[in-house]
Amino acid sequence: MIRKSIVSLSLALAMAVGTAAASAEELLIGAHMPLTGSLARSGQTFTEGMQIAVRQFNERSDKYKFKVEVIDDESTPAKAVSAVEKLVNDGAVAVIGGYGSNIIGPASAASNNLGKVYITAGAVSDELTARGLKTFFRINNNAGYQRGVENLVAELKPSAVSIIASTREAPALLAKGLEQSLAEKGVKVTVHSFDPAITDFKPIINKVKLRDKADMIVMSAYENDYVGIIRAAKVLKPDVKLIVGVWSLATPKMYSEFPDLMNNVVGTSFVPFPVEVNDPEGKRFADLYREVYNKDIEYLATLSFVETTILLEAISRAAEAGTLDKGGLPDEMRKTDRQTLLGRVKFDETGDNPFFSLSMGQHRDGKIVLVSPQANANGSIVYPGLPW
Amino acid sequence: MIELVLQAIFSGILVGSVYALVALGLAIAFGTMRIINLAHGELVLLAAYTAYFVETNTGLNPYAAIPLALVLVGGLSAVLFLMINRIREHRELNSLILTFAVGIIITNAILLAFASDVRTTTSPLLQDAVSIGPLFAMNGEVVAFAVSLLLMGGLWWWLKGSWYGQAVRAVSSNRDAARLMGINPVRTEYVAFIAAGVLASVAGVALYTMSVVQPSIGHAFTVKAFIVTVLAGVGSIPGVFLGAILLGVTEALTVTLASSALQELAGMALFLLVLFFLPTGLFGARARRG
Repeated sequence: MIRKSIVSLSLALAMAVGTAAASAEELLIGAHMPLTGSLARSGQTFTEGMQIAVRQFNERSDKYKFKVEVIDDESTPAKAVSAVEKLVNDGAVAVIGGYGSNIIGPASAASNNLGKVYITAGAVSDELTARGLKTFFRINNNAGYQRGVENLVAELKPSAVSIIASTREAPALLAKGLEQSLAEKGVKVTVHSFDPAITDFKPIINKVKLRDKADMIVMSAYENDYVGIIRAAKVLKPDVKLIVGVWSLATPKMYSEFPDLMNNVVGTSFVPFPVEVNDPEGKRFADLYREVYNKDIEYLATLSFVETTILLEAISRAAEAGTLDKGGLPDEMRKTDRQTLLGRVKFDETGDNPFFSLSMGQHRDGKIVLVSPQANANGSIVYPGLPW
Repeated sequence: MIELVLQAIFSGILVGSVYALVALGLAIAFGTMRIINLAHGELVLLAAYTAYFVETNTGLNPYAAIPLALVLVGGLSAVLFLMINRIREHRELNSLILTFAVGIIITNAILLAFASDVRTTTSPLLQDAVSIGPLFAMNGEVVAFAVSLLLMGGLWWWLKGSWYGQAVRAVSSNRDAARLMGINPVRTEYVAFIAAGVLASVAGVALYTMSVVQPSIGHAFTVKAFIVTVLAGVGSIPGVFLGAILLGVTEALTVTLASSALQELAGMALFLLVLFFLPTGLFGARARRG
């Protein structure tokens, strides 16, 4: 078993800040992240955002300083469960979850059994919040991604949409929700589900081209799938007007690595690129992130930053009120109601954040322009607009 | 409908040719030593990342990375053989554990060196579309198909025409008899393992030019190669090619005529059917009779 235990730099850095740190109470939080395995890319970016959140919190807090213990869950549910047990055993007051609903499910159940708050930004399945766990919280959900795509479709009014969806849990769920909601709005929808192992998407794209005759392709998938789908579309050139995706698509990284495939492609986003962050917290996050990792903030890192910040604030409040050791953290989490880089975060009784919603950003010659909903847009959409 | 089916068959043949490239290395090591190299997919992956490294650092066509890939992957194959050769008991079983562990090490080394991001060629030449009547493909796929055919021919010639090739066939057929004929079986197995590394090198570079690679997908190549090897039957090089094409076409037709979610299932169903009705593979029995 490969288990990587990384003790955060944040405490050491915070202690170097000044003598105030010497008198601060030190608290440990735990995190299990997929640092290796099929979800490693997401796990590594999540970890980066989390580390910056801890560092930023420690900078501004004199009374409480946090350190974080990270365990590699190797993208597997069993490892994630044992990671949670070890973290709690090591004294973590709460746990930050990694990525993937199938991993978060058992890991958060284990955390609940141990009575520890578990927060995630990497699992959007509706089943997770239907379990009635008292200690489970998440800041994003399937409905938020669905709303982003629905808004775009409502504004562009395509007559037919082809959804190409991975059979993994989250993309499949999103595709199902989109199929239902778009069909109710009178859009002709065809769903093409695919096994995550496939690499040649030409047979699917050919069906879109010859059978569906769609105006828009919506990809509910992950980065490697996006590349395969768009590449196949570039070869077969179906008569569509726009290619849309969801998470991890409208990022500067995707454009820098696949410039020939990304132009005019649309994906969920929250800030345009070059990054325009206006509030002081977001600006400091963007500056610190650039300083430490030598790159601009991106979507996954921001999700992780927000969930970590919210957790640390709730822990501090519980510690201040003297309820942290008495099981008061879930109640403090439910008192959260604040604006973040991702919009408003407030947890309902299931631990979900009903205010989560995303904008849609379009790759435009190396920039990302927010194009939908119009209230958040900083530019107009190129439509029809394709990478070829 | 006809257009859909024709495109599916065409795409299946192109994909199948790369399956064949990947499977050949596994097949030759399996045929000679009767061991399954579970690190074979990771060796292919290492070659793919070598192509990525060369392309991004020099701007050259990814195929220019083949010499470097040959050194790296061929060298690693040689080291892997030396480790396997030290196994004294239960070689078939212990080599599985050893090669599985080496596969994990290679995957994590790639992860450390190249991060977990998705990689593929950025060469416009290889990414551009080519059409043959109503059939479409990427230039990279057509080049990979041609490379696969060439390599297959080269391997065929080597096994039939060269002394070491004949020695590999002899050891594969009967190790003890080969020894009595003056062939050093250990040296021959060593050569076969390096030949498998050479094949993995070219397969990895070809894969990089037509597909997407990530550190976690090495084991999937091994599984695919194993299916093709069993479909073909041990010891049949043309069988590997035809088995791979059959698998590729079956998968593509499943996507077109049923659902793409069933593609992997169709491949496994084909594998099980062949195992059930033709335990020696599609071409293994005929080759033995011949």
